[in-house]
Amino acid sequence: MKDKIKIALAQISSKREDKEANFKKIEKLTLKAKEQGADLVIFPEMSLTGYVVHDQFYELAETVPGPTVKNAEALAKKTGMHIIFGMPELSDKTRATVFNTAVFVGPQGLIGKYRKMYLPTHSVFEEKRYFRPGYQTAAFQTEIGNVGLCICYDIFFPEVLRLIRLKGAQLIVCISASPAVRRSYFETLTCARAIENTAYVAYVNLAGVQDGLQFWGGSRLVSPNGDILAKAKYDEEDFLTCEVDFSDLRTAETFIPTLRDLRPELFDKLKEYAELL
Amino acid sequence: MKLTPSVFDGDFSETQQRICRFIKEYVENAGAKGIVLGLSGGIDSATIAALSSLAIGGKNVLALMLPEVENFSQKDIDDAKTVADLFQLETNICDMTEVMECFYDQIPVFDRKDRLCKGNVKARTRMIYLYYYANKFNKIVCGSSDKSETMMGYSTKWGDAAADITPILDLYKTQVRKLALYLRIPEELALKPSTPALWPAQMAETELGIKYETLDLILYGLERFMTPEEIASQLKIEKSTVETVKCRWLSNEHKRRMPIAPKLGFRTVGIDFRLPRHTY
Repeated sequence: MKDKIKIALAQISSKREDKEANFKKIEKLTLKAKEQGADLVIFPEMSLTGYVVHDQFYELAETVPGPTVKNAEALAKKTGMHIIFGMPELSDKTRATVFNTAVFVGPQGLIGKYRKMYLPTHSVFEEKRYFRPGYQTAAFQTEIGNVGLCICYDIFFPEVLRLIRLKGAQLIVCISASPAVRRSYFETLTCARAIENTAYVAYVNLAGVQDGLQFWGGSRLVSPNGDILAKAKYDEEDFLTCEVDFSDLRTAETFIPTLRDLRPELFDKLKEYAELL
Repeated sequence: MKLTPSVFDGDFSETQQRICRFIKEYVENAGAKGIVLGLSGGIDSATIAALSSLAIGGKNVLALMLPEVENFSQKDIDDAKTVADLFQLETNICDMTEVMECFYDQIPVFDRKDRLCKGNVKARTRMIYLYYYANKFNKIVCGSSDKSETMMGYSTKWGDAAADITPILDLYKTQVRKLALYLRIPEELALKPSTPALWPAQMAETELGIKYETLDLILYGLERFMTPEEIASQLKIEKSTVETVKCRWLSNEHKRRMPIAPKLGFRTVGIDFRLPRHTY
């Protein structure tokens, strides 16, 4: 496993319902990331289809693995890159059960997938209308390090990222489709989750406007002590690369040893009281 | 939560940017050649005119002035021209008087004394002009409804409320005035009392029975699920005033939605048929 990797935050504006155009963009930016020496390129939540597509999710969803993932695997193999992107995933056991999924591919093929656990269904969000929630957190040991995946609203729930970290993830990737009115929450939470877990958090958000909903961009890499190491432009498409130095985790974990000081018995209480809410 | 006028303070630079981005994106994706809007000389239309100009350039914004004899006001025309000059808009003046007279004469049951019905015909006639120009010149219609009027149902269905985009719909009148000042719309115009101009001497606050400064705080509280008791207590007003506003707020939902249909099919428009809104 490498001690240092370079990651690319590909903050794109997806063309709604146009998987072909969006995958071309994924291809183009993966090549760009490769040229800039990156090991991993990250695209936003639902970057393959756009986020505001309502009933069309049923028509756009694909199995994972499936046609698009096959193309992504070929792209990863050709470039030697690791790629994370978001798409609606169709269950291979049913005809219309869909998940909001993050796909992770590498030069060896499909590394894994993560199905969003917390589906916002309030305000402008209607995810429970279309998606089944996932039941598994995701952390994958790869040649570029242990990488965990979460999606957007998951970050409001510290237990999700805690679990990812406890599974070994040192870089937690959060792909997102967050509209502008939520910006301050995500700016706070990305730092908080990095600090409380002493982990890198790479947050990649959509940009652009879909049905009047403006995605605020602002993708970033946050260090394990909460410093923002790289930050993309607000509101518009942007692309940047930055370095993750896993050796910094040692310093962070000794300075504020949140993992050493974990109290597992509190988790039992958490469960008990959560059920009584 | 404290209900004070400061809740309407904000970063109007960001508000401007967001609205301008919204307008530009919509016009571009629609493949339209710009915007057409009604420029009345009032604050709301001045604000959307300014924002449209900043978003896509004044030469792409056609501002229609639609006077007619009953409501004619040289001051309003002058104010509209001031805004048009300031933001370098294309303009066109159409006198609606004869068209209105045709309606009054030709609708068999027309009652000139029924000023509400007559006023609504006026608002809908303005809409016809705007959409004609939009169709003819491949533009989109930009509406000037604000959140205060929309939540109170203080608009004409398919009249002034009809548009392709409504850039200031999510701003209360108090916020629109602040945004207008930020956009350097002259203060006299930004603070001018609002009127729908459906009949002579019609004033919005008189008709609504409440000052916008108070109304907007009530609406702001209701939007955030505050109870009438809490709102009345904080604003030191009668609870019945808040309840009257809330009653209107609830009863006008029909003006804010597409026409309702009985649920008969698998997916029903306006109920559970949800498709992305493409502009191209």
